[in-house]
Amino acid sequence: MNVNALLTLAVLLLAAPAVPGIAVRTKSMLSGRRGAPVLQLYYDIAKLLRKGSVYSTTSTWVFRIGPWVVLAALLAATLLLPLDGTRAVLRFEGDLVAFAGLLALGRFALVLCGLDTGSSFEGMGASREVTIAVFAEPALFLCFITLVLATGDVSMSGMLGAPLVEAWPRAAASLTLVGISLFVLLLAENSRVPVDDPATHLELTMIHEVIVLDHSGPDLAAILYASALKLSVFGALVVSVFAPRTGLGPVASIAILLAGIGLVAVAVGIVESLTARLRLNRVPQLLVGAAVLAAFGIILLLG
Amino acid sequence: MILVTAGLVLMLAGGAFAVSLRRWPLLAGRVYLGFFLLGGLSTAIPAAAVLAGATLPELRLATNVPGGEWVFGLDPLSALFVLAIAGVGSCAAIYGVSYLAGGRSAGRVATAHAILALLVAALMAVVIAQAAVPFLIAWEFMAITAYLLIVYEADRPDVRHAGILYLVATHAGTLALFALFALWGNGARDLTFASLAQRAPLPAATATFLLVLAFFGFGMKAGMVPLHFWLPSAHAAAPSHVSAVLSGVMIKMGIYGLMRVIVLMGAPPVWAGWVLLGLGVVSGLLGVVWALTQHEIKRLLAYHSVENIGIILLGLGAGILGMSYGHPLVAVLGFAGAALHTMNHALFKSLLFLGAGSVIHATMKRDIDKLGGLARSMPVTAAVFLVGSVAIVGLPPLNGFISEWLVMRALLVGATNMERGRLAVLAVVGLALIGALALACFAKVTGILFLGTAREKESAGNVHESPRGMVGPMVALAGACIAIGMAPVLVMRPLSRVAYMLAGLQADPRGGLADAAPATALSVLLAIGFVVAAGLAIVIRRGRSRPRAGTWSCGHAPATPRMQYTASSFASPLLLAFRGVAGVHVTRTAQEFATHTRDPVLEGVVFRASRWVRATSDRLRPIQKGRLSLYLLYIVATLVALLGWLLLTGMEP
Repeated sequence: MNVNALLTLAVLLLAAPAVPGIAVRTKSMLSGRRGAPVLQLYYDIAKLLRKGSVYSTTSTWVFRIGPWVVLAALLAATLLLPLDGTRAVLRFEGDLVAFAGLLALGRFALVLCGLDTGSSFEGMGASREVTIAVFAEPALFLCFITLVLATGDVSMSGMLGAPLVEAWPRAAASLTLVGISLFVLLLAENSRVPVDDPATHLELTMIHEVIVLDHSGPDLAAILYASALKLSVFGALVVSVFAPRTGLGPVASIAILLAGIGLVAVAVGIVESLTARLRLNRVPQLLVGAAVLAAFGIILLLG
Repeated sequence: MILVTAGLVLMLAGGAFAVSLRRWPLLAGRVYLGFFLLGGLSTAIPAAAVLAGATLPELRLATNVPGGEWVFGLDPLSALFVLAIAGVGSCAAIYGVSYLAGGRSAGRVATAHAILALLVAALMAVVIAQAAVPFLIAWEFMAITAYLLIVYEADRPDVRHAGILYLVATHAGTLALFALFALWGNGARDLTFASLAQRAPLPAATATFLLVLAFFGFGMKAGMVPLHFWLPSAHAAAPSHVSAVLSGVMIKMGIYGLMRVIVLMGAPPVWAGWVLLGLGVVSGLLGVVWALTQHEIKRLLAYHSVENIGIILLGLGAGILGMSYGHPLVAVLGFAGAALHTMNHALFKSLLFLGAGSVIHATMKRDIDKLGGLARSMPVTAAVFLVGSVAIVGLPPLNGFISEWLVMRALLVGATNMERGRLAVLAVVGLALIGALALACFAKVTGILFLGTAREKESAGNVHESPRGMVGPMVALAGACIAIGMAPVLVMRPLSRVAYMLAGLQADPRGGLADAAPATALSVLLAIGFVVAAGLAIVIRRGRSRPRAGTWSCGHAPATPRMQYTASSFASPLLLAFRGVAGVHVTRTAQEFATHTRDPVLEGVVFRASRWVRATSDRLRPIQKGRLSLYLLYIVATLVALLGWLLLTGMEP
């Protein structure tokens, strides 16, 4: 366990709530509005933490622990990312399976919370969430397999760390495809346009927002923070693929990481301004497309 | 081996007491359980010792039956299965006493207990037999006692159908096993496993033929696609504690058989690895898609057994590829994944079946679309069912994740190291898809069954938590799932003994799998995440108000139970996506949306084939008229034909 990794982790955990803010700000600037402050989510979380929670008479203990399981799973997943560009706080062979498993655990907890309210709105959201995950999960693993084949290393720290720097000259095409594929997955996993619309409320069209409709107070704060962290974690994945960093000082490394994640957030905002939400039955096609991109990456490497 | 034998005798004695004391059911239940548990313990102790590294002498019985001595012994492979059988069998026996109590006549209940004891003893005999003849005898005992338990509620026609289908399927499989051992023993000294192993390396053609027979015979028992067609109805028809034994350990006998064949064969050909990998992906995917279409809780769980058998086959396939391409680490990881998943599936699937049994016991309903909100009336059942769900989906921090991680790790390590056979890594994508679908399916089951509110009024009424005798075994199984998941270090070393044996390697005390560092890191990682989140939750929530209100309905009229999402609606987007293979029939009217399912293999292939056989046989029926004169005519005609043939071939005998 090294100090740099812990330091970078702390910075990311602190900066995470700003990331969705950047995306929203980009969107409002492109549509000629002033929009909410970038730091709005910090205010929201601080406000929610001071409030009590209202619980539905229908819901059970599952609903109460759910948000905290979501948060715990994401915190644990973050520990596996080589944020400083060389190694993660924790690394072991095959930890990429644990990374995907922890994200799935968070999803499972959230979906059960939705079903616990007994509302058909939230049931619908839960159903859509698991459906989209079915298409996103294989795509994520195809990306990881491409990285494993390109770097010859079976851990997050290896395949996103130093061996990746050496792999770029050999496998530039494959890695570019993986980066694009990961960006599409970022949009899907974080419920952004064109898969879901985070801006709407009380509509039947959305997925993530509708599942958390009944949460309030600190529970909602945990979910909001976890969502922001998830966006940052996926942003960090994309940045690690496109800008692998070794041999830099801790400050430069952190600066590159944060700037990269910021750029990704801006890109998310641009995508949200340019495209409309896809019809639900078209979403699998988008994700299968992302999977095919990563699969092409594998074919290029094996060829 | 004395302890194991004594254990088997104790279990059978327990069964005998259950029958002989049937006039006093309470006493009979206690005596039966006492003997059964003692028996389970006395088989588990030597098994645990063998997994810890001890070697036990074999038990050899000289017989006059052809096939040589009857040998019984415990090697690491047998020990792993003995442990699973003893654990699941004991839990099922305890549960069964409460589950069956007060249902039917005391005599039938007692017989069911006795037959369960026989089944568990037969299962143990299958895995400790080290010669073909006792193996096959035990195998038949297992098949027939299981049949008797499946048709326990024989007054229901669907149960009788399920029983017949099971009996036909299992005997078709057994036939293949007879052929397998007869062919293998041809040229060996006798039919003990040691002599069979001495025939290695087998000629390529023989090995191919033997493997095809083994895939058919053992695959039928394991329920891999497309030989699974008997499994869902049989497991759904049996009483729940029997389903737990059937799904938890009996179908694993097919896996045991495949593993034993791998050990005896020494070095299976490469194609066997690829075939197992392919069968694994197909079984896993189709099993989980079909499970997603089910609304009858026990059929749904039964289809998940097909899925998990697929995951085990993936591990075995990866192991064989590792052996064939000369990469021992891949082989050991793959086999360890398969072995651990076998054990894990025994734990969480029996847990889930027992949980389903509790629900059925309390509500008298099996259709999940009619239930809901049971977490309130059955809190313990809900909690352990949730543990079982997280485990079977393969999510950290429970045991299902550890075994799936080992299998994936084998394939990923293989991708970076094996020159040929790298493409096997694509099975990881299959496994990821299987995992995501399983998550959807268990979100559906747990969510619809235990959360929300009851979907039909009468089911909300006098629903109660199960008695202690039923809750206890479930809690024990859930505890085992959590222990293996949180501290995988505990099982790594015993597991590596099984894996090294399968890979045909000498156990290496330092390298490879015995290195428990990754598993430890995993536990640490999860512990950190959960401690941080739990701490945050406790600190933040302290002293906050927690008013209760109805679920927020977005300002519309408050939601009613009938407006809740159902299992049909929950699964419908996925079934739409997989409609090509799901075999679902959708009913959609203005008032109703419902899905009905049929098994594509059973109705599309097996029933069609059997109709064809019957139609063809019908055409031969005129021969059989039941008139004595006609049969005499046949005899005379045959004699004349034979005489004519002798004349033509020149009078030589």
